[in-house]
Amino acid sequence: MGKRSKALSNMEHVKKVSFRHYLGRYWQFYAMMLLPLAYFILFKYVPMFGNILAFRHYKPLAGPYGDRWASAGKVWPEPFRYFEQFLLVDKFWVAFKNTLIISLENLVINFPFPIIFAILLNELRNLKLKKFVQTVSYVPRFVSTVVVISIMSELLSPTLGMLTRLIDMVFGVGKIFYMNEPQYFRMLYILTDMWQFTGWTAIIYLAAITGISSDMFEAARIDGASRFQQIIYITIPTIMPTIMVMLILNVGHLLSLGFEKVLLMQTDKNVVVSDIIDTYVYRYTLGSSSPQYSLGAAMGLFNGVIGLILVSISNFVSRRLTGNSIY
Amino acid sequence: MSTKVQIQNAKKSHIKEHNPILNTVTFLVMLIVVLACIIPFLYIIAMSFSSAAAITNSRVYLWPVEFTVEAYKSVYEYPNFFRAYGYTFLYTIVGTGISLVMMVLFAYPLSKDWLKGQGAVMKLVVFSMFFSGGLIPNFLLINSLHLVGTVWAMLLPYAINQFNLIILINFFKSLPSEIEEAAVIDGLSYFGILVRIVLPLSGAALATVGLYTAVFFWNNWFAPLIYLKSSQYPVMMLLRNIVNGRTMIVDNGGMGEKSSLSISIKSAVIILSSLPIILIYPFLQKYFVKGMTVGAVKG
Repeated sequence: MGKRSKALSNMEHVKKVSFRHYLGRYWQFYAMMLLPLAYFILFKYVPMFGNILAFRHYKPLAGPYGDRWASAGKVWPEPFRYFEQFLLVDKFWVAFKNTLIISLENLVINFPFPIIFAILLNELRNLKLKKFVQTVSYVPRFVSTVVVISIMSELLSPTLGMLTRLIDMVFGVGKIFYMNEPQYFRMLYILTDMWQFTGWTAIIYLAAITGISSDMFEAARIDGASRFQQIIYITIPTIMPTIMVMLILNVGHLLSLGFEKVLLMQTDKNVVVSDIIDTYVYRYTLGSSSPQYSLGAAMGLFNGVIGLILVSISNFVSRRLTGNSIY
Repeated sequence: MSTKVQIQNAKKSHIKEHNPILNTVTFLVMLIVVLACIIPFLYIIAMSFSSAAAITNSRVYLWPVEFTVEAYKSVYEYPNFFRAYGYTFLYTIVGTGISLVMMVLFAYPLSKDWLKGQGAVMKLVVFSMFFSGGLIPNFLLINSLHLVGTVWAMLLPYAINQFNLIILINFFKSLPSEIEEAAVIDGLSYFGILVRIVLPLSGAALATVGLYTAVFFWNNWFAPLIYLKSSQYPVMMLLRNIVNGRTMIVDNGGMGEKSSLSISIKSAVIILSSLPIILIYPFLQKYFVKGMTVGAVKG
């Protein structure tokens, strides 16, 4: 018994020395990390815990965590009054529905597009042309959302816009104020996304395609596979893991649409379809003269938790079905 | 015999290599993409150099009509434009500088898999990519740090971007460890190794991450909207206000001379505010394509 405890304390001694030794040797790595880590925790994790405000009563000057727990609502018990304030409100569910519809339509249309673009780009045998197309297709990624919307508003200006004029000339539909009409909002959102990100996102797929061993294509060619068959039976199956990872990431972000773009595109008339969760939050908080921060935090938390659940589900499904996952 | 079959197959495959439908589709898609990317910019450039009369009469398409630099003169004479442009440069340069220092200091230790605690910190980083404090908790944090209304609100919260951080980490991991081991034996400290050996080898990664960060700061308008005073607005905020008709000339979409001039002024601001970034990126293209793939595939 005594022997054992003595042995134990010896071991602890050894451990302590080696720990000190370890730090003595590698302290510089920890020193490097110190400032960025503190910084990271302050700007990423403190706001994460700041979500607690969703359950707390906000008071100006009382700090970001409010001054007391939220009291009971009309229907729901404390501290869920702020959740009641939007979960039982029809307008919120309209925004929720709008978010989902825009997201899903955007995913269905804009997810396959960069894949097709990358595959076809790879079919270009003229390398100079390929480089040129790539370079040009990245440009829209580098301009600000403000610039994208400004350009669109000029192209679609109801009186002077080139596109408005051309569409009117060809179809004789008259000069429509497209950016103000609810029925065109989603289409414009999706088209601008396509314009901005197709070339950029294709980089990832193109890299995956370039990584395919040329032996495989050669073997297929000797077996008599056409170029189209090579795409179907070699290219697509080989880049499947990349496609799945990208799909998981996209599904995980279903509820976080391009908030800034929607905010820029929103008008009094198209708000029926363009009101998404983020703009709803914005209108009741920072965009309001009497901001309701607790309510905003509650909606943000709701959004974030659903996002996390969506990532986990799509990750799980993908791992089960294809063996690919991001964690 | 077998050689003959192979040759025949090779001939056959040679014929199949020419797939006219595939070639046509490929060519068409490429043409559409290129035109779609270029035409909007050509139109804006044409508008910015056209006379108000030509714009009003809908005569402008992709080439300036009745060439004039009137719009650029108006922008030049607008005092807030240069202040805003200056702020944009300030935010971009200082923001990118802070960001690169922070991310290099973070990424280098995190590239050492064997370092105790590295795994835990990586988990913190990755988790924060999927769950974060929303708009309000972030705003209230900046508010309680008394950063609202100061330029720091624009610079500090965005210093570490997890995606860029992972690009850097993966790049540092790909460097051969032998050089560092030799440097340790020669008695160089880890700070010394980072500054004198690792960073000089990391030009491509730093260019990539630097470009992404610079583009982010250059294009950011939402942070200025919620955090800054109007006297601190960068040029993107100015453009946003012009689009929303809050500054300069009010554009009601009317047919008047004034409205046409405002369209060409808006166009000139779009061109001037996008030009620096568009001019820089082709030179960095070979780096950032590599960086994008490293970060995305492994991250």
